[in-house]
Amino acid sequence: MTEQLRESLSALMDDEATELELHRVLGELEHNVELRQTWVRYQVTRSVMAGQPVSHAGLDISRSVSAALAAEAGAGQRRPGLRERWLRPLASLAVAASVTAVVVLGGQQLYQAGNPDAAVTPVAASGVSAVGFVNSLGAVPMRASYGAQAVPQLEPAARTAYRELARQRMYQYMQEHAEHAALNSPQGLIPFARVPQIEE
Amino acid sequence: MKYVSWLLASGLLCGLVLGVSSASAQRAACSEADAEALDWLARMARSHSEVAYQGVVTLQRGDDMQVVQVARSIAGGYSFEHLTRLTGQGAQVIRSHHPVNCTHPGERLLSLGDRVDPGDCGLAGYYRFQLSPGERIAGRQSVKLEIQPRDMYRYGFLLELDKETALMLRASTLGRGDKVLERFQFADLSYGEPLEPRQGMETVHPAAHPHPDYPPAGARLTVPWTVSWLPGGFTATDSVDPAGPRRTYTDGLAVFSVFLEQLPRELRPGEGLARLGSSLSYTRGMHLADQPVLVTVIGEVPVNTARMVADSIRVVR
Repeated sequence: MTEQLRESLSALMDDEATELELHRVLGELEHNVELRQTWVRYQVTRSVMAGQPVSHAGLDISRSVSAALAAEAGAGQRRPGLRERWLRPLASLAVAASVTAVVVLGGQQLYQAGNPDAAVTPVAASGVSAVGFVNSLGAVPMRASYGAQAVPQLEPAARTAYRELARQRMYQYMQEHAEHAALNSPQGLIPFARVPQIEE
Repeated sequence: MKYVSWLLASGLLCGLVLGVSSASAQRAACSEADAEALDWLARMARSHSEVAYQGVVTLQRGDDMQVVQVARSIAGGYSFEHLTRLTGQGAQVIRSHHPVNCTHPGERLLSLGDRVDPGDCGLAGYYRFQLSPGERIAGRQSVKLEIQPRDMYRYGFLLELDKETALMLRASTLGRGDKVLERFQFADLSYGEPLEPRQGMETVHPAAHPHPDYPPAGARLTVPWTVSWLPGGFTATDSVDPAGPRRTYTDGLAVFSVFLEQLPRELRPGEGLARLGSSLSYTRGMHLADQPVLVTVIGEVPVNTARMVADSIRVVR
């Protein structure tokens, strides 16, 4: 990872990134494992500092932020008024500023505040069905109040957050799964080739 | 995560001795076509402890293609294996001193030995087989084994085995509509030539060897749990600790693992899914004994299987 990227990431986490840096980091996160790990590490650090639980600080919502940026660009094209053009940089900064807010919120939104209502909380394993579908609790709109324009609404937050959880868990558990798959499927050590990042 | 080291696992301590039971008698109950296919699968499983080779393998998953070097040598009743990534991460996995007579449940399922229920035909109860001549792969003549699942809980496979040694030369994992989810293939293969592991790799990982009789050491949960439903033919790969955070199951061809995490706070119930080739990560937030938990199923099975397994998790009273 280049020093420049590390700086951009750091700036991003401190709400100081420029739009250019934001785009560069988000683009790079897609295929740079090291950067992704650094990003997750920063988030954990931040969560600890903020006194938040760490178990889901690993949430990485870079993709939903990318989606928000894309949607924002789309919205900009629909109404390309002079005022819009003046305000766009501000709105983009709002997106940049809200990146960290979303990072934290991504985990927070899955956690329910206060006591859960027993009536709406499905109890685990209420019978096996072929469908077995679980409703997530619908859309949770997100907005940033930093800029002149609200950040476009993201996907239902619980769904996005769960998808990111699943992806993070794949990174976390694939090697342990491979240890057992390698001894119990006919391809020898090949299951290890499925591990995103082999650890010692 | 280190379990019992290979030192402990090797030699007499490997309690998994292949039951040389009445495999041929059981096979009489299955159809002729199945019997021949099952013979090939058993030979393929055996080739694992008998054949020394080295080669280059490609692993294709969607747009992603990896190249790895693999080698296995056998000496003094032990096998030595290594896998080295040639693309991407500079990593190597090594398994040394694995006793050749140490078989794990996956291999036993393929070998049709040591069956619990003497009436069944093992894998033939869960898959349909079709055998035909195959093409040349890595310079070797192959036989083609088409494997179709009989239910919706597992993927299909197309295995192409070396006609002489039964070593797997190419394996495709097939999803719905025979869509290829993952393809493993030897590009180059030579037999019997020992190969030293490459030096100077950034990461060298000694593969773990979980002992079948002792639960793995490590973190334990305060809620003992069990998986109360499994698709037919799946069995645990190692001894199960009710308070352990992981379970792994195999039917001989497919493998999946279930992980459970206890959460410090209430979590909005829901589910999430991530895929990479034939691999799946299904994550589900739910309650177990009024405690919020996160269940994750990782493995090479369809999402419905993962969801139903997660559904069936119960507290052990």
